[in-house]
Amino acid sequence: MSELLTDYYLELSSRPVRFEAVNQLTNVFFDDSNYDVFAVRSGGVMGVVVKNAHNEEKSLNFRMEDHGPVLSIKFSLDHKVLAVQRTNNSVEFMNFNDTSIDCEYSQSCKKNSNILGFVWLHINEVAIMTDHGVELYLVIPEKKSLKHLKTLSANIQWFIWCSLNKIALLASAHGSQLQPVSFKQGSVVKLPKVETEPGRMALERDVTLATLYDVPAILILRHQSGPQTAEVHVHTLNGPGQSPIKTHILKLALSGRFAINVVDDLILVHHQASRSSQIFDIALPGESDGNVKYHTPIAPARSFRPTSLPLPGIVEDQTHICELYSPNWVVFQPNIIIDAKLGCLWHIKLCLPELCNQISDLNVCTQVALKRRDGKDVLLKVLLDNINQPKPPLDKLQESLNHINSVYRDWLEIELQNLSAAPVNASFSPKSITPPRVVIDQNDIYNEIFQKLDSNKDLRKTECLIISYMTSLSEYSIPPQHIINELLIINLARQKKFTMLQQYLQYGIISNTKALACLLLSLGNMHPSALQMALDMLARIGAKDEIQEILLSENKIISALKIAEDGANPRKFLSAASKSEDSTLLHSILVHFRNNAHFANTLKKDERLMNFVQEYNSIFNI
Amino acid sequence: MSNKTDVGLKNLFVFNSLLNLKEGEELKKILYYYPITDNTDIQIKNVGLVEGIIQFTETFKPNSSVGSLHTNKTRQLYFQPEKDYWMVMTLYLPTVIKTKDNVQTVEHLENDVQDSVYEAVLKQAYFMYRLFWGTFESAKDIGTLKMTLEIFYKAYIKSLKLANSDILNIFSGIQYLPLDKQTFLKVQCFINFMELTYPMIEHTAFLYNDHLIWSGIEPSDMQVIYQYLIGTLLPANIETELQGGSMPRNAASPFAALRHGRFITGPSNLKLAKTVGKIPKVHLFSGEKQEYFLVVYRALSASVCLFIKCDVELTLDQFKELDEFINPKLISIVSDIAEYCSKQVTPSNLPDSSPRFIYFNKMNLAYKSTAHLDNKQTGNLACNKESVRIMADMRTKNPLLGYCGETIVKTMNDFWVVGKISDAREFYIALQQKNATLIDVSAEVKKLCDNELKGIFFHP
Repeated sequence: MSELLTDYYLELSSRPVRFEAVNQLTNVFFDDSNYDVFAVRSGGVMGVVVKNAHNEEKSLNFRMEDHGPVLSIKFSLDHKVLAVQRTNNSVEFMNFNDTSIDCEYSQSCKKNSNILGFVWLHINEVAIMTDHGVELYLVIPEKKSLKHLKTLSANIQWFIWCSLNKIALLASAHGSQLQPVSFKQGSVVKLPKVETEPGRMALERDVTLATLYDVPAILILRHQSGPQTAEVHVHTLNGPGQSPIKTHILKLALSGRFAINVVDDLILVHHQASRSSQIFDIALPGESDGNVKYHTPIAPARSFRPTSLPLPGIVEDQTHICELYSPNWVVFQPNIIIDAKLGCLWHIKLCLPELCNQISDLNVCTQVALKRRDGKDVLLKVLLDNINQPKPPLDKLQESLNHINSVYRDWLEIELQNLSAAPVNASFSPKSITPPRVVIDQNDIYNEIFQKLDSNKDLRKTECLIISYMTSLSEYSIPPQHIINELLIINLARQKKFTMLQQYLQYGIISNTKALACLLLSLGNMHPSALQMALDMLARIGAKDEIQEILLSENKIISALKIAEDGANPRKFLSAASKSEDSTLLHSILVHFRNNAHFANTLKKDERLMNFVQEYNSIFNI
Repeated sequence: MSNKTDVGLKNLFVFNSLLNLKEGEELKKILYYYPITDNTDIQIKNVGLVEGIIQFTETFKPNSSVGSLHTNKTRQLYFQPEKDYWMVMTLYLPTVIKTKDNVQTVEHLENDVQDSVYEAVLKQAYFMYRLFWGTFESAKDIGTLKMTLEIFYKAYIKSLKLANSDILNIFSGIQYLPLDKQTFLKVQCFINFMELTYPMIEHTAFLYNDHLIWSGIEPSDMQVIYQYLIGTLLPANIETELQGGSMPRNAASPFAALRHGRFITGPSNLKLAKTVGKIPKVHLFSGEKQEYFLVVYRALSASVCLFIKCDVELTLDQFKELDEFINPKLISIVSDIAEYCSKQVTPSNLPDSSPRFIYFNKMNLAYKSTAHLDNKQTGNLACNKESVRIMADMRTKNPLLGYCGETIVKTMNDFWVVGKISDAREFYIALQQKNATLIDVSAEVKKLCDNELKGIFFHP
C-alpha cells in the first residue's frame, strides 16, 4: 500500500522519553498517575532512575535496599513519599527528600487478603486494593506511619484506575461484574454497576477508563464470535449519581488485538494485525436505536507516521527505524505508548490538517474540527480550500457554515449571560459554562476567508459566499456586523449590480445603520438609485437629522423643513432659501417661521436672522 | 344589442421613410401593415398621411416629434423606436348610443382614450418585438425584417387587450413578492449554487406565480421579459397544467412519486423528448447588447428563468442534468414560499370599502396595486374604472409638481382620487366615502401611507 506522507494523521512524539530498556537486571514500571517511568536495577540496589513523561528535566536517581523483587513502585503525588510493593500482603513506604531515601515503614493489608495493587489518591492518601476490597489509608510521613481511614468490602479480581477522575473500576466474576468506585477526600463510594449482558466477561486489557468531552467514560472492547467484528462499547458516567450508561458503540469492522487511546477527545483504536488505527468521535451524529448511537470511523484507518530513533555510533550516528504496532507496545491513558524493550515512551500526536484532508465530507470535517482544541486555523484553511475550487460546493459550505454559526451563537449567548450577570451580583457565577473550543466569528470569516479571496477575479464567487454566510447567520438569528454588510455593498457596487443591491435592501438582507446609509450615499455618483436606497435606510431607522441634511444638500428645502418640524434651525433654512434665489421659497420659509409660535420669538430676537428678514423685505418691498 | 362599443384597433403599421424616395413605389417603405384587408392604396394613403403630419408638425416643434392625432372618431399614435422607423397605431374611439327625443345619436367618447396609456401600449408592442428579434436596424435585410414583423405581430395583435389598458401599461412595472428574509436568502443561495455549478447560466430570474422574487437582469429588460412571462408564456402553461388535472389519471401507481417540475421552454417531457426542442432567444439591451437562450423551468407555482449564453450548444443530457439539480432544491424552496404567502393578505380579500392604491417606483420599476384584482389585464378592478383613468391623467401632470407633491380629485359620484409623488416614487389612492370632507380624506390617506409606505422614504 503506497501511502503519501500527507496521509498520516497520527504520529508519535519526535523526541520520545528514553529510559533503560528491560533486561535481566532492570525492571521498568510506569505510574500513570504521575506519568513517571521507573527503571529499577537489581531491585533498587544498583539504582532507580525515574523519568517524567511530561517533564524530561525532572529526572530522579536514587538507590534503595534490596528487600526482594519489586512488584509495583509509585511516588506520592507530591513526590515526597515513595511506595513500593514487594510482597502480596504489604506495601513499603519511604520518605523521599529529592535525592535519597530517609526511612522506611510498612503497611500490611488485612489478614488473608492479597494485594492486587495500590494507588495514590491525594497528596497523602493511598488506597490499597486487595481481593477482599479497598483499604484507604492516610500517610503521615512525619510519624512514619499510616492511619487507617476506611475499608470497602468487595470481591475484586482486577481493577483499573483513572487518576484524573479518581475513579477505579473493580472487576469480579471474570470481568462480568464491573463496579466503579469513586474516591473523595477520605472516603470511597460505590457507583452504580456497569450494566453488561449477564455473564459477559471482560479482560483487564480490554477495558479502558477515559475522559471524553469532560465526562468520565468506561470503554469496553467486545470481541464477537463468528463472522462478526469487534465493537467498543462506551459507557459514559453521566447518568443520575454518575451511573454508567451505554451511550455509544464504535463499529470496528475488524477483529483481533486492539488497544485504545484518547487524544483530544477522539478515540483511537489501534489494530495490531493490520498495523493501523481507526479514529472515532462520539460527538458526531450517528445511527441511533434510541439509546445507543452507532459510530463508524471518521476517516479511513491509517498507520502511525513512521518514526525512528537516533543511535549514537562509533564512526557515525545511525538511525533505528522503530517498529510500529510492536507486540512490545503497552498503551497508557490518555495518549501514551511505551515500548519497554526499546526504552521509549511516546505521546501520540494528532495531525489535524492531515486528518481533515482524509475526511471527504466537508460537513463531517467541520464538525470534527469544531471540537478540536487547535481546530480553528485548520477549519478556516479547509473552508478556504473548498472555496478556491473552480466550482465550490456551495451546498456543503452552507452546512459547514451552519455548524460554525451554531457554535458561534452558543458562544454569543454565553457572552451575553456573563455580561448581564456579572455586575448584578459578583458572587453569583453561572454554572461554569465551558466556552466552545473553536469559535469562528464574523471577524474571522472576514479576515481569513473573504480577505483572502482574489478581489478582482472572484467578485461573483465572493458575492455568493457572502450571501451564503449571511443566510447562515440569519438562520441562527445573528445580526450581520458592519464589515459583512459593507463587504456585500462594495462587492455589488464593484460589479455594478445596483439592481441586485436594491433587491437585497428591499428584502431586509442588509442591516439598517447610519454608517451603511452613508456608504450608499457615497455610491450616488455610480447609480441614481443609491440616493433612494440611502434615504430609505435612514427613514427606517428614523434618522431625521441626516435626512434633513441630505434634503438640504439636494435643495429640497420645504421637504427638509417638514421633516425637521419644531427642531428646525431657522438660520440654516433661511440661508438655504436665500441661496436658492427663489423668492417664493424664501417667502414660504419666512412665513412658516413667523406663523409658528415656536419660532416667532427667535426670529425677532436673533440678530443673525435679521439679514434674511431684510432681504425678504427688500424683495417684496415691505 | 349593446348600445356601447369599446375602443378598437383600426390599423397598426411600421414604415421607414428613407426606404423609398421615388414616387409610385411608396409600398416599399411599408414594413408591416395591419389589417391586411386594407388594400395597398389605402395603405399607401395612410402611411403618406402620417408622413405628412410628422413632417408638418416638426416645423413647429423640432425637438420632440408628434405623439398623437385626435380626430372625431379615431385616435392615432406615433412612435419612433429607431431612427427613421415609425410605428403608428390607429384606434377607434369607444362609442355610446344615446337616444334623445327618439333620435339616436352616436357619441364618441374621446376622453376615455388616454394618449399616455396607448402610447405605452404601442411602445410595449415594439419592445416585445425587440426582445425576440432584436432591433429593426439589426435585421439581416428588408425581406427578413418584413417576415419577422409579420410573424410576430400576427400573434401579438391578437393578444392586445386594448379595452383594459390603463395606467399599469404606462408603468409596465414588475410586481415583487413580499417575502421574509430567510426564505429570500434560500432562493438566493439556490440561484448562486446553480450559477456557480453551471457557468453557462449567465443570469437567473425567479418568479412565484405572477410575482418576481429575484432577477439578475436589469429592470429595463426585465420589465419586457416579465410582461412576456406573465402575459403569454405562463398563462399558456397553466392552462395545459390544468387540463392534465391536479392528479395524474392513469398513473401506473397512485403511490408513484409525483414529479412536479418541468421545462416549459425546451424539452418539456424529458423522458420522451428526442431533441431539446425550440428554445426562444431573447435580446437584452441594458449594458452590452446580448443574446440569450431563455430556458424556463416550472415547478409547483415557481418559475425559474435561466438566461443561457447563446454560444452554448444545449443538449438533452444537459437538460436532464439541470432537471436533476433544480428539481429537489426548488420543491423544498417553493413549499417555504407557499407557507409564507398563505399568511399574507391579497387584494381580493381586503374589505370592499377599503381604499385602493397603486404604487410605483421608477428606480426598480416595482409596482403594487390593490386596485387591480389580478395582473392579467382582464379589467378585473376593485375600484371604478374612472378612478384609475384619473390616476393616469394625474400622472401626465406630475412634472408640474417637481420632486414631490400631492393632487386630490373628487369625482361627481363621491369618489376621491389622491396622487402623491416623491422623487422616483408614485402613489395613487382611490377611495369612496359619502359626504367626506377634505380633512377626512387626508386622514384616511395618511393612515394608508403610514401603513403601506413604511420602510421607505417618502417626502412628507
